[in-house]
Amino acid sequence: MATVMRVIDFGEVSPLRSQTLWHAIAYGVSAGSPPTLSFMRPSHPYVSIGFHRRLGELDLEWCRATGLPVFRRMVGGGPVYLDGGQHFFQISVPEAMTKGTRTQSIRALLAPAVEAFRSVGIDAHLDEHSEISVGTAKICGHAAGQIGSAVVVVGNLITSFDHQAAARIIATPTPTVAEAYLRLMREYVKATPADPEAFRAAAAEAYASELGLVPEPGIMTKLELLRLEEIDEQFQEPEWLEGSPAPVPTSVKVRAGINLSLTRTEET
Amino acid sequence: MSEQKIRGFIVRTDLAYDLDHHLWVDTSRSDVVRVGMDPLGVETSGTLAQLVLHAPGGDYSRGQPVGSLEAEKYVGPVVTPLSGRVIAVNHQVAKDPGLVGRDPYGEGWLFELTPSHPSELAELLAGEEEVATGFEERIRRYRIEGVLAE
Repeated sequence: MATVMRVIDFGEVSPLRSQTLWHAIAYGVSAGSPPTLSFMRPSHPYVSIGFHRRLGELDLEWCRATGLPVFRRMVGGGPVYLDGGQHFFQISVPEAMTKGTRTQSIRALLAPAVEAFRSVGIDAHLDEHSEISVGTAKICGHAAGQIGSAVVVVGNLITSFDHQAAARIIATPTPTVAEAYLRLMREYVKATPADPEAFRAAAAEAYASELGLVPEPGIMTKLELLRLEEIDEQFQEPEWLEGSPAPVPTSVKVRAGINLSLTRTEET
Repeated sequence: MSEQKIRGFIVRTDLAYDLDHHLWVDTSRSDVVRVGMDPLGVETSGTLAQLVLHAPGGDYSRGQPVGSLEAEKYVGPVVTPLSGRVIAVNHQVAKDPGLVGRDPYGEGWLFELTPSHPSELAELLAGEEEVATGFEERIRRYRIEGVLAE
């Protein structure tokens, strides 16, 4: 039974490593490393797409033309634009430490993040869609998944958000739809410029308290470093990026509950 | 086909179950079993947004992932309750994952498999009374733990 929560702050890392580091850690936790809270932010902008989503949801031509790398992650959710204004956090725990339904597990692993947001002066709450929000605006992009026998929930403190770029990466059928998407994104996705260092400290305290563990700074294990190299390669393979075939989406999501259909705006 | 309403859940008691992975197994054919998600799996997974099953032809050990599903941005594995070769997958559920929730015992089945270790069948929960008792206990436990609401 774990008594320690490892805390690793990687600081600024390459776009690729801002994805592969935490995947490697999740594999490590699956193999017996302690529950781990990790932090990092990307040195350059890039795009990440959820495990099941179609590459066709992205305007790949535009991504290539503007030099945005695209990586497919092993957790859920849709395609997202990521840059240095987004400070990532990831909590990786053995599956046995999670309880209840999927919704309950995710909410339990997001609750300490909400506490951390509140500790740094942001009036955040976990809304009915399990989004960390202020009012009706989402302030944290999250996703979750089981990697090996570890469960990982990822999120971010967004100190600045480039709505234009975030909307531009999405393939939209017409300029009108693109404009509507940007408008909705400006309305429903907000940055919360808080002190990232204070947020990280508050998150470490909140997660350790929630999990009943003692936070301790740590480093990656040999196994995790080996896995990291493998995942680095995997994430750069065209076949991995292509992913599994998934149904063609009929709408693009702005945030949970706010979807833009090809022909009309719908709030679900 | 026989079914019972157990604490609000319709449960087919003529099937075998891997309750830990929330899967039903139809063992009525001699060499092929059909697998689907049980009502508790449907309830605890949330609304399925994505479901991908690996192409038929693969050999798997019991508990290994044969695909993945996603609900609420959470990606999790779909595992096999028995070792063997997957010989068919339900393409309809990949197109419409909601089918699993709407008709878990019928159109929402997941995959078919030829068991390679028939002795594993004995480890599944089976028998009308045993299945009913197993579900009764599991639902009671989930309610005590707050996993399921009354």
